[in-house]
Amino acid sequence: MRIIVQNSKCQGHARCAAQAPDIFKLDDEGYILPGDIEVAEGEELPASRGARSCPERALELDRTPAARVE
Amino acid sequence: MATNPVPDHVPPEMVRDFSLFTSPGMSPTPNGDPQAAVACVHAGPPIFYSPCNTRDGRGTWVITRASDQRRVLQDAETFSSHRSIFASALGENWPMIPLELDPPAHGVFRSLLNPLLSPKRVMALEPAVRERAIELIERIAASGTSCDVMKDFAFPFAVSIFLRFLGLPDDRLDTFVGWGKDLLHGDDVKRPAAARTIVAFIDELAAMRREDAVDDFMTFIVQAQVEGRRLTDTQVRGIGVLVFVAGLDTVAAAIGFDLAYLARNLKDQQLLRSEPERIVLAAEELLRVYPTVQLIRVATKDINFEGAPIRKGDYVSCATMIANRDPAEFECPNTIDLEREDNRHAAFGYGPHRCLGSHLARREIVIGLEEWLARIPAFRIKRGTAPITTGGHVFGIENLILDWS
Repeated sequence: MRIIVQNSKCQGHARCAAQAPDIFKLDDEGYILPGDIEVAEGEELPASRGARSCPERALELDRTPAARVE
Repeated sequence: MATNPVPDHVPPEMVRDFSLFTSPGMSPTPNGDPQAAVACVHAGPPIFYSPCNTRDGRGTWVITRASDQRRVLQDAETFSSHRSIFASALGENWPMIPLELDPPAHGVFRSLLNPLLSPKRVMALEPAVRERAIELIERIAASGTSCDVMKDFAFPFAVSIFLRFLGLPDDRLDTFVGWGKDLLHGDDVKRPAAARTIVAFIDELAAMRREDAVDDFMTFIVQAQVEGRRLTDTQVRGIGVLVFVAGLDTVAAAIGFDLAYLARNLKDQQLLRSEPERIVLAAEELLRVYPTVQLIRVATKDINFEGAPIRKGDYVSCATMIANRDPAEFECPNTIDLEREDNRHAAFGYGPHRCLGSHLARREIVIGLEEWLARIPAFRIKRGTAPITTGGHVFGIENLILDWS
């Protein structure tokens, strides 16, 4: 599973980091670091909770196995 | 209040008799529930025009859907927040910063201030916040079985945390609370007088910190550089006034509404007292149902928005208490469910102006509830008293006499 991060939509609510601080890392101003997030196996639940917590809808769950393409 | 002429471009069928200032339950009301009172708009059209929906009696479009409010508040280019609402009370025109600046200028100041109130910084402030809450509540517990939560706890707690953040001593706390009350809830005489007093105070404080630097917020501001330049006096004032105004009333009101709810709902009160680990989630639900702020934007161009012919210069109201009861986004929005999950409420707004103090506010509310419930046994509204609630630009609760005898 992957989380697509739309940095331009992040406004620093930090709700994702409140759900899962190890998955959603913030910069010194409290906004999410750039780049999509690859979710490790076993962390799907906190990751999807965190993505669903964003008031701005800046985080999108991507469950397609497309990331496997090598 | 006089009825305002509705602008010609507003179709008559889009005008509704609704106002956060004059609708039922908005004036001071004993045992009122102003947030529930405004939720009635969801029975009507998603967007309408209210002819009298600001303090000075101007009309606004009213956006009721949370998703539409997001669109408005995330699009600062079309919906500007440059209103000089504070300065206009003085017949002046300068922005509170960063709230009344639009991007890109907004972002520069926001970046300057964000680290001061980031989640990380708030964690460092937490022990002082908790200590202050405990001190106030223990004094209340020791002195009897009843108190006015607003006067004895919520205001002194919120305002002293904020004074500490600014680097000011507690000894003028009552004075500051009085200024804040006059400014946000006072009449046409008290409001400008309070505004003038606050500006003079901020100007004087800035001058003192320029003279003698200490380790505090105002010293940081007067020494700060933006794009290689020191801030102007007006910019320093704009930041100082905003922080002052924003920190005075909102957290105290939230704690007041929350404890009023728990005083009337003993089962929920007991649940949070016996299982305090539930308070963090419960506080989010209480933020959803009892937010206090109406956000107003000004259209910078003509736009047809979801069927509303908004014209350049029109005011657009995004009331957080309306978005938070949108049935399209919250199941059973008028039911208070302290275990509600995925609670993406709008209490702190959406978009680039998201409340800068939200992380501190959240911690203050949670800590306030934790320490109150840990030290005060089962409490109710004192018999023969009634909390008085108010609507308006910022919703509030004037008094809350609790009894635990």
